[in-house]
Amino acid sequence: MRISKGALLVVIAVLVPFVVEFRTALSWFGIELSILESLVLGGMAVLAVVLWAVWPPNGNAEAELSGSS
Amino acid sequence: MEVTRMSSTAGQTYLDQFPAEAKVIKAAFWSSFMALAIGGLLGLVQALHRTDVLRFIDSADYYTVLTAHGVLLAITFTIFFLVGIFTWAVTTSLDRGVVDIRFTWAWYIMMVVGTILVGVSILGGVVDAIPTNADVLFTFYAPLQAHPAFYVGLVLFVVGSWLAGADWFRTWWAWRKENPDERIPLPTFMALTTTLFWYLCTLGVALSILVFLLPWSLGIVDSVNPLLTRTLFWYFGHAVVYFWLMPAYMMWYIMLPKLSGGKLFSDPLARVVFVLFLLLSTPVGIHHQYLDPGIAEGYKFIAMTNTMFLLLPSLLTAFTVVASMEHGARQRGGTGYLGWLKALPWRDPVFTGMALAGLMFAAAGFSGMINAGMNINYLVHNTWWVVGHFHLTVGTAVALTFMAAAYWFIPQVTGKELWSRRLALGQVLVWFVGMTFMSNAMHRSGLFGMPRRTAEPQYQGFDFEPAVGTVGEINAQVALGAVLLTVALAMFLLNMVMTSFNDDSDSLPANTYAGTLSGPEDSPAVLDNLKLWTAIAVVLVIVGYTLPLASIVDSGGLFGPDIGGFQLAIETDPALVLESVREVMP
Ligand code: HEM
Ligand SMILES: [Cu+2]
Repeated sequence: MRISKGALLVVIAVLVPFVVEFRTALSWFGIELSILESLVLGGMAVLAVVLWAVWPPNGNAEAELSGSS
Repeated sequence: MEVTRMSSTAGQTYLDQFPAEAKVIKAAFWSSFMALAIGGLLGLVQALHRTDVLRFIDSADYYTVLTAHGVLLAITFTIFFLVGIFTWAVTTSLDRGVVDIRFTWAWYIMMVVGTILVGVSILGGVVDAIPTNADVLFTFYAPLQAHPAFYVGLVLFVVGSWLAGADWFRTWWAWRKENPDERIPLPTFMALTTTLFWYLCTLGVALSILVFLLPWSLGIVDSVNPLLTRTLFWYFGHAVVYFWLMPAYMMWYIMLPKLSGGKLFSDPLARVVFVLFLLLSTPVGIHHQYLDPGIAEGYKFIAMTNTMFLLLPSLLTAFTVVASMEHGARQRGGTGYLGWLKALPWRDPVFTGMALAGLMFAAAGFSGMINAGMNINYLVHNTWWVVGHFHLTVGTAVALTFMAAAYWFIPQVTGKELWSRRLALGQVLVWFVGMTFMSNAMHRSGLFGMPRRTAEPQYQGFDFEPAVGTVGEINAQVALGAVLLTVALAMFLLNMVMTSFNDDSDSLPANTYAGTLSGPEDSPAVLDNLKLWTAIAVVLVIVGYTLPLASIVDSGGLFGPDIGGFQLAIETDPALVLESVREVMP
């Protein structure tokens, strides 16, 4: 894990407003996403974050830090 | 430089240090939680009702519910928590108990009695056995009229809070005799400056109630000037938002840096911020009345200018608090431009709750600037945008900070370990996500004109036109958010209840708050001159309010042009009103 489980949950929670607002922002450019499309997009973003978090870091020291709280 | 904590008390919890005060604080916190529980549940009822997802009350009773929600959350929940925190702050930072604990209990009990009177008189709107009516919403605008018990209860509650302030001042005076040459410790400074503007602003609402509304509801006078009582309400109504916010700010200044593993970036800057709030909280209330006829545009413009100045202390706070968190993170080994964020204690619900509350407050600052602009306010005035805005401010920046703080304070004042830190972390995250959904949808509905304070915004022969998505989607989003918020509320209360059943623990952290990188000795002594700042605040209020009040009285008369009271449920059957409204609508 690159970051602690707690931190991962926080990152996912903070993603939610971005996904929600993204839909509004896109409509400014004439791109209207349906709810389903937004959900899929949000799901992909969450998946990407989770993958990034659990991917073994390339042995750099940062990994040790994150666990401590 | 670090503020030196008394070494004799190192390692002790608040309960060990001040057992008598801890009891009062615990009682105040529980009063606050009870208001939160009832008020929050009513919020769910409203959200589901308005969006027509689920209606289990009669629309005619909607205002009773909404009055209870507004009063219990915006007044009772927040202020009970505040008096608890400030009592903690004053005693902890002065390292001495209150002067007379009986006096402390007396103001607490007075506030409880006031709350019960207000609560019961509101409840009378739906319970036939109680012959009262107070469906006046938390703003109690005339000509809506409440039962006298409602006003009397409010007065008792406010006077109780005045006495609480007197208690903190007495404690500080006693301390000053023992420590004549010392600077006021920062937490006490924060509590005292906040109390001062509370005195200043509540004078307006006391005047409005005691001179006009209460005699009017008792039948002693038979008319009031609605614009005058409204203006007096907002004279208090803006400052009260800072009254709720100041304990949250205090937590961000003195707890967040500590939790992040560091120190407060600057004590002088924090003092400047609280002085600015003392000066500017009150002479801005007219910004809630941009749409009121009868107040000249010029006065509204002055209120707007003052309001924009008020952004300054909040921006200073954002800077100081983030700088302190970065300092803490780097102390914990964080590195990099943004990489230090990873070194923050995100698994700690107290930290995470407060940090997310701060984040939402930043968003609220943006919608607040829209509200504050005189012309653009016309777009959002009285729409659900405003409701979306203040659920980010008082409903999250304040409420979530308080809940997160409770995870630290309840163990401190009870000597019991928090039942579940994991549940607590989950709770603050669910609240954050729930509020994201609810508040975003509320803001967006406001933009297409969805009104606030109405039970059934489903109009016939008229369709709202959202810029994005459909009204149905937006309603679903509100309902989803409200359900998540209620779940978060239940998680919070469960944790609090279970914590109080826990065994006593002796592995609790000591009762401390953050030291400072730049301490009080770096700040000019004039900052501590409370008399000077109060005098300037009074002058600003006189400048901001004399002319508008004079012209309101001049044009409408002190007691108005024969405005009788209007009681929603007693004089008219609202169901009939709704029926007749339906008939005239095409
Ligand atoms: C469970 C969480 C909550 C839910 C579901 C909720 C829901 C709502 C809804 C739907 C309204 C709008 C009613 C209308 O315009 O017709 C409302 C109004 C309001 N809410 Fe909340 N709310 C919650 C928590 C809070 C909290 C924590 C606070 C403050 C600490 C708060 C303060 C207020 C106030 C002051 C109003 C305005 C009342 C009025 O217009 O007179 N709410 N709430
Ligand atoms: Cu305001």
